[in-house]
Amino acid sequence: MCDLFALSANRDYSAPKSLPIFAEQAGKNLDGWGIGYFRNHHAYVEKSAKGIFVAGQLHDSFQRLARVVKSRIIICHVRLRTSGLIDECHAHPFVLKIGGYDWIFAHNGKAPAIESYESRAIAMKEAVSDSARTFEFLRDHLTQHFQQSSDVASIFEALSSCTSEMIERYPGKYNFFLSNGQILFIFTNHRQFMLLKGSKKLEGALLITTVEKGLSDEKWLRIAKSTCHRGMLLAVSGTDIIVCQPL
Amino acid sequence: MNGWGIGFFREDQAFVEKSDEQVFSDQQVHESFQRLARVIDSRIIIAHVNCPKSGGLHLSHRHPLMLSFMDHSWLFAQVGIAEGIESYETVQGPRLDISVYTARIFEYLRDQMIITRERNPYISLFAALHLSIKKLLKNYPGNFAFFLVNESVLFAFCNFRSLSILRKSEKMGDVLLITSIGEGLSPNNWQTIAPKDPSKGKLMVVAGPDVLYAADI
Repeated sequence: MCDLFALSANRDYSAPKSLPIFAEQAGKNLDGWGIGYFRNHHAYVEKSAKGIFVAGQLHDSFQRLARVVKSRIIICHVRLRTSGLIDECHAHPFVLKIGGYDWIFAHNGKAPAIESYESRAIAMKEAVSDSARTFEFLRDHLTQHFQQSSDVASIFEALSSCTSEMIERYPGKYNFFLSNGQILFIFTNHRQFMLLKGSKKLEGALLITTVEKGLSDEKWLRIAKSTCHRGMLLAVSGTDIIVCQPL
Repeated sequence: MNGWGIGFFREDQAFVEKSDEQVFSDQQVHESFQRLARVIDSRIIIAHVNCPKSGGLHLSHRHPLMLSFMDHSWLFAQVGIAEGIESYETVQGPRLDISVYTARIFEYLRDQMIITRERNPYISLFAALHLSIKKLLKNYPGNFAFFLVNESVLFAFCNFRSLSILRKSEKMGDVLLITSIGEGLSPNNWQTIAPKDPSKGKLMVVAGPDVLYAADI
C-alpha cells in the first residue's frame, strides 16, 4: 500500500527531518515517489518512478529535495502500485486546475470501481489508475461548485458532499490529500492518518502521515475509520485543524 | 461616526492603524483611510467604523483589537451590544487595558478557546470557537456581529443584522469581500448571510477567497 505525508505551516517550511524518516518508514513502497509544493500560488511536483529507499539508501534526489523544497504546504507520496503502470506519470502527486487555481492531489488506497469514471473535462489520459480518476471526479464536482458561485455553500461542504457521492457510486478505500495552497484537505476511510503538531524532534509544523506509528516517538493523534464509519474529512490551514467532520 | 481602524497582517504579525477622526465628512473619505486602503497589502484585511454606541472615547478603544494566543496574532472587530459583559474578568490574561465591552468579548472568546484547546489539543478551531460563542450567548446574551481573524483565516459571526458577501475576481486573483452593511458595497449580487430561526447565530470561516465552512450555532 502507498503512503502519504504532508506538512502544513503558517509560513514557508522545509521538512529535512521528517521527509527522510517518512521515506525510510514507507520503504517497502518501491514503485515511485513524488513531492508536491506551492510557490507563488502555483503548484509544482517533483516525481520519480524509482524506489525511494533501496539497499538501505535513500534516493539521492529525494534527499536533496527534502532539504530544499520550501512551502507552506508540502505533500509527499510513495507508491506501491495497485493500479496503473510503474512510470513517472503514474507517480503522485497530481496537479489539476479547479476554479482557476492549481490543486495538488495524492491518494492512498484501492478503488478499482472508479477506474471506469470518464471525466467530461480535461482528463489525465496518460495516467490509467484509480487515483487519477478519483482526482478527476473530485475536480469535476468541485468545478461545478465554483461555477455555481451565486451559492455561498462552503467549499468544505462541497468536498464533503462529492466525496460522499464518490464513495456511494464507486465504493473503495480512499485516503487523500487535496490542497490549493491555502487549505489542505485530508480525507480518510481506511487505515489511518497520524497527526503531530509542535514536534520537538521533527519540524514544528503540523505533520500528517499514513505511517501507522507516526514518524517519531512523540504523541501522534490517530484519525481512523474507527473514529467514523464512513470516513473523516479535515480542513487544515497553517498548523491548525480548522474544520473536522465525519462524512 | 466616531473613528475608524484597519487591521492587517505582515509576516504573520497583526498590525492596526486607527484614528479618532471621522472616516467620512464633508463628502470626503478621511485622507489617511484612503491612502491606507491603497497601500495595505495583506491576505486578510479588516476595517471597523465606530459609532457612538460602541463606547470609549480614546484612540485605544477603536477596533480592531489585538491579542496573541494559540500560536497566532489575532484581530477582533465587533458591532452590537451585549448584556453584562463589561464585568467579565479574564481567567487567562493578559487583560486588554481598556474599558470597552468589545475588549471583554474578545477576552471571553480568547479564554474559552484556550480552555477548549487545553482539554482537546487537536479540536478544530471552528469547533473551539463555535463552543465559545455558544457559551458567550448563554452567559452574556446580546447582539453580536464580529470578525475574528488570524494571518490565514477569518471567522465571521452574526446573530443580528446580516453579513453581505461578494466573491470577485481582481487583477491579483480572486477576493472575498464581507461587510455588515446590509445592501453590500456595490450594485453586484451580494449574498446575504443571516441566522434563521431557531438558529442562535451563524458562524463561518473564510480561507483565501473561499467560504471554507459555515454552520449555525
